[in-house]
Amino acid sequence: MRARQLLIAVLAAFSAVALLALSGLVFGHGELLSILISGSVGSTFALEGTLLKSVPLLLTGLSVAIAFRAGVWNIGGEGQFLAGAMGAFLGARYGMIAALAASLIAGALWASIASALRLWRNAPEVLTTILLNFIAIHLLGYAVNGPLQEASGKYPQSDLASASLPASGELHAGIAIAVAAAIAAWFLLYRTAEGLRLRASGFNRSAAKWAGVNVNAQLVRAMAISGAMAGLAGGIELLGVTHRLFERVAAGYGYAGIAVALLAQLHPLGTIASSFFFGALTTGAGELQRTAGISSTVATFGQALVILVTIVFTRRKIA
Amino acid sequence: MRLSHVTKRFGANVAVNDVSLDFAPGEIVGLVCENGAGKTTLMAIAAGELAADEGSIEDRVPVAVVHQHFLLVSEFTIAENLALAMWGRDAGEIIRESGIELRDVRRRVADLSVGEKAKLELIKAIARRPRMLILDEPTSVLAPTEARELFDVMRRLAATGTTVIFISHKIPEVLEVATRIVVMRRGRIVVDGGTMSATELAEKMVERRSDSPVRPLVNTPRHVDSRPGSAGRTGESDLRLSDLRLSGLRVPLHPGEIVAIIGVAGNGQSELAASLRDSLRGRVAHIPEDRARDGLVAEMTIAENIALAERRWRPRAAEQRAAALIERFNIRAQSPLQRAGSLSGGNQQKVILARELERQPEIIIAAEPTRGLDIEATSFVHDELRDAAARGAAILLITSDLDEAFALGDAIHVIYRGTLSPRLTPDEAAVQAPGLMAGIA
Repeated sequence: MRARQLLIAVLAAFSAVALLALSGLVFGHGELLSILISGSVGSTFALEGTLLKSVPLLLTGLSVAIAFRAGVWNIGGEGQFLAGAMGAFLGARYGMIAALAASLIAGALWASIASALRLWRNAPEVLTTILLNFIAIHLLGYAVNGPLQEASGKYPQSDLASASLPASGELHAGIAIAVAAAIAAWFLLYRTAEGLRLRASGFNRSAAKWAGVNVNAQLVRAMAISGAMAGLAGGIELLGVTHRLFERVAAGYGYAGIAVALLAQLHPLGTIASSFFFGALTTGAGELQRTAGISSTVATFGQALVILVTIVFTRRKIA
Repeated sequence: MRLSHVTKRFGANVAVNDVSLDFAPGEIVGLVCENGAGKTTLMAIAAGELAADEGSIEDRVPVAVVHQHFLLVSEFTIAENLALAMWGRDAGEIIRESGIELRDVRRRVADLSVGEKAKLELIKAIARRPRMLILDEPTSVLAPTEARELFDVMRRLAATGTTVIFISHKIPEVLEVATRIVVMRRGRIVVDGGTMSATELAEKMVERRSDSPVRPLVNTPRHVDSRPGSAGRTGESDLRLSDLRLSGLRVPLHPGEIVAIIGVAGNGQSELAASLRDSLRGRVAHIPEDRARDGLVAEMTIAENIALAERRWRPRAAEQRAAALIERFNIRAQSPLQRAGSLSGGNQQKVILARELERQPEIIIAAEPTRGLDIEATSFVHDELRDAAARGAAILLITSDLDEAFALGDAIHVIYRGTLSPRLTPDEAAVQAPGLMAGIA
């Protein structure tokens, strides 16, 4: 079972890269693969870029993995990411730790709106979480054009946050936090009784209920933890990379988390590897755009391929 | 049409056992049986939906079946549903020809009453002009006047030479409409034809056979006396968890005692079990009725499934514990890390028992604990329940298997349309249960 999952993941990743390389050959860009590799892991600078991209992907990937494991279809990573970024910006005036805590809480609360609606009116979280994404985007849009706009009032963006993550060069401490979060998520899912019940609720809600599991509590908890992870991604991105709020601060990381989690077969430790893969793909695609004039949307193309291959070969039901 | 020596097995279960039946045009056959007696399988074979393992069917005729569960598209109108069945014919005309009243074909099926849906199913079946019409418990959802109407339709069809097979648990209805009565038990035909009174028919339904896998209870010295908890049964003082309150009726449930609730499926048993699951607190074990859906998490290992009921989760310790339980409950599994879903039904049930009984429950709610199990697994489950009672657990056994109820039950309640009969002793139940179950007492 484990071996099969690993095989699927590796197969999915390879087939995506191979197809990209092949289409490069077909359209007269034989250098595509080599640029993709050198642009993502070929130099210290490229590797740093890849790592920076991997951090938010790892956290949003964990967010999705935990939710899906519990059978909670949280598609709202993008909105929770933004809630986390806003929370971190507001918390930053009390220091870096407060900012990180605020991002966790903001993400969890934003996600919990969906679980409240689910418990209150049985509203499907697939829809509510997506809709909450749009609300979060527009709330942020309002904030950076209004109350949180920079003092100069020039651009629709905030001033620099009052705190930031410790950094050395481009790299910031968020990498360590994200990896620690992955290990913590693994421990939660596979080494605690709560994790066991959470997974049982995800596989078979009804059987879990008969075995005495409070499945509604699992739903609420999974959604909150999932939201907290996505929120933390937003907080770290703000405190480590952008330092300012602006409308496109999430840059699709929330949605990309779904691909990361699926490639990782919803396993927290697998998410570390898969986020690195997608981080490399995105960074390499940026280099393709700069040097070969190939649109960086090839990264999205690769992402879609990976998801398709994973879904086709995975027996586990997905939504 | 003639069925001769038809046998159908599912794994170790013999669903239909050497059944021979002749059907003549124009007769209304009342097929009476308990749940799980094999009627659904037999009818599927008759309708050609399922192939028999042995035996043959001669002179096949076109068969239409009205299933117990509606096969209608709720979002479609009556006319659209009829068009799905009979493309190109006018819905109003189909309904008129059937002789069944159903007004306004533009209504959505979702807005129809249950009785109207049943009528629509019947109209669909009749429209195919079958030579044999099988009705699977059609009256269970009908009001008495609607049932009358249905009987008229049945008689009219029979008069035109159609064979009507009417499956029902309701003895008075069967006696009223059937021209011939067939009783089926545990896959076999035990009565075919002849006239009989309501009580005679009821007795045929509950008659116990000597080769039944459960222990016969005819000789009364039961395990009761040897129970440690039984001393308290006369002086009611030390009964802690004594009473369950169910739809206004008290069900006294004493430590060391097995109380059986019997009834025809669909009379509120599932709701009862679910409400007990949600309301009872403390050390309560639940054995769910729908094993495939509610019993185990198929994707998880045996060890994980067993640990679900526990406070702590330590993979290594859970594995050792599961290994010990596999040994003790004689579960046929390769290892505690085997996926629960890959076990056979009987072994899955043993895993559920292992999980539920190992926490030393004070109350056990067992719903259909042996449904679909073979003889060996059935007697294993029965022994475990007896042992649990002997250790002082109070057991509520919800079952549609009368043999099981009589073999295990110290007291019996009959459930009918969501209400429970007063507490009966097994002897009283042997006399009164059939009538109570059929709603005629």
